[in-house]
Amino acid sequence: MIVDKIKKREKSAKNKKTNVDIPIGKWVKCDKCKEILYKDTVRENLSICPNCGHYFRMHINKRLELIADKDTYKRFDINIETSNPLELEDYPKKIKALKEKTGLEEAVASGTCKINGEPVVICIMDSGFMMGSMGAVVGEKITYAIEQAIKLKYPLIIFTVSGGARMQEGIISLMQMAKTTAALTKLDEAGLLYISILTDPTYGGVTASFATLGDIVLAEPGAMIGFAGQRVISQTIGEALPEGFQTAEFLLEHGFIDKIVERKDLKETIYKLIQLNK
Amino acid sequence: MKQKKRDNGEAIAKSMFEMAKLKVPVIAIVIGEGSSGGALAIGVGNRVLMLENAIYSILSPEGYASILWKDASRSKEAAEKMKLTAKDLYNFGVIDKIIKEPQIDENDMIEKIAQDLKKEIKSTISQMKDKTSEEIVEERYQKFRNIQYFNNI
Repeated sequence: MIVDKIKKREKSAKNKKTNVDIPIGKWVKCDKCKEILYKDTVRENLSICPNCGHYFRMHINKRLELIADKDTYKRFDINIETSNPLELEDYPKKIKALKEKTGLEEAVASGTCKINGEPVVICIMDSGFMMGSMGAVVGEKITYAIEQAIKLKYPLIIFTVSGGARMQEGIISLMQMAKTTAALTKLDEAGLLYISILTDPTYGGVTASFATLGDIVLAEPGAMIGFAGQRVISQTIGEALPEGFQTAEFLLEHGFIDKIVERKDLKETIYKLIQLNK
Repeated sequence: MKQKKRDNGEAIAKSMFEMAKLKVPVIAIVIGEGSSGGALAIGVGNRVLMLENAIYSILSPEGYASILWKDASRSKEAAEKMKLTAKDLYNFGVIDKIIKEPQIDENDMIEKIAQDLKKEIKSTISQMKDKTSEEIVEERYQKFRNIQYFNNI
């Protein structure tokens, strides 16, 4: 294994025709092609594998850089943290450790920003924080953002990445699905545009609530999107699943999403959609 | 199979979305094992009632144990931790009322529960009959809007 890695590293270094000494810890392995890549190279390439085109998951800050006009993002002044409704022993410790490790407040960031000068309310989820799962904090932040969009009369843009409802908060997490969904009925009545962008992976209670309720639902190429996981479905129905099941491409073919948009084109596409809906 | 092939996530979302907009009172009653999005898809009510021994949870205890501990056989332990009883949910404010299940002869018990439910449904309807459709929708909205379990920091 180690020998393979070293070989690949040498190969990768050769490809780049560089003799720069890159320290260990700055490497990342592509989940798809297994190529070992230099992190900065991946970052500079919009977090896409330069070898096979696989989309890496994006940190909130990188996503903001990609979508928002420079220095226009203002986070909503909402400062909340979980109150541990199931009184689990490890859960608050886990949250605290994650906050320190990721520099994130929770699995979603919400605020306003401009996209090519157009003001929007934006929510961005992050898989690095408990797999982007939705508990009471995420549910409240999304709901608050929807209410702010109504108040400000701005379009709403949500980037999803999530394993679903957060198990550690039990029924309270489940209720966030109804809460966010009900808020979206008000946005709908106000006649405001909601664009949701599904990124890899979007599952469970997030798919089954705000993620799929966009007026326009976009997805990144190759994103895995579903409610229950493939293993669970296949075991439940006792049948093999069709080729490409739960990929963005499969869902586009079956009419569940409107368009697959490459990362480099996302900002421009969102901007055009806002213009069209004015 | 067709349903599963096309995935049911969006169907759950759409069901909740439409339910949240209904202009008439909605009473949802959990009568057995209610879990996950399937239960919530038909659970967006102005009033949510629950039989005393019913359960209502984010996922089945087997699924919960499987996800959190990668071991479905720890379902009993999961059930104890999940706070899924009628009493737990009442304390959370997720449900509005518990319908008693008295320990009497089974046939009598079903009759008794049916009578109690009927009484409850009737009284809820009569409480809401003077409300406008806007008030009914707003009341339902606030009910779910106010399920807030977080601390301000």
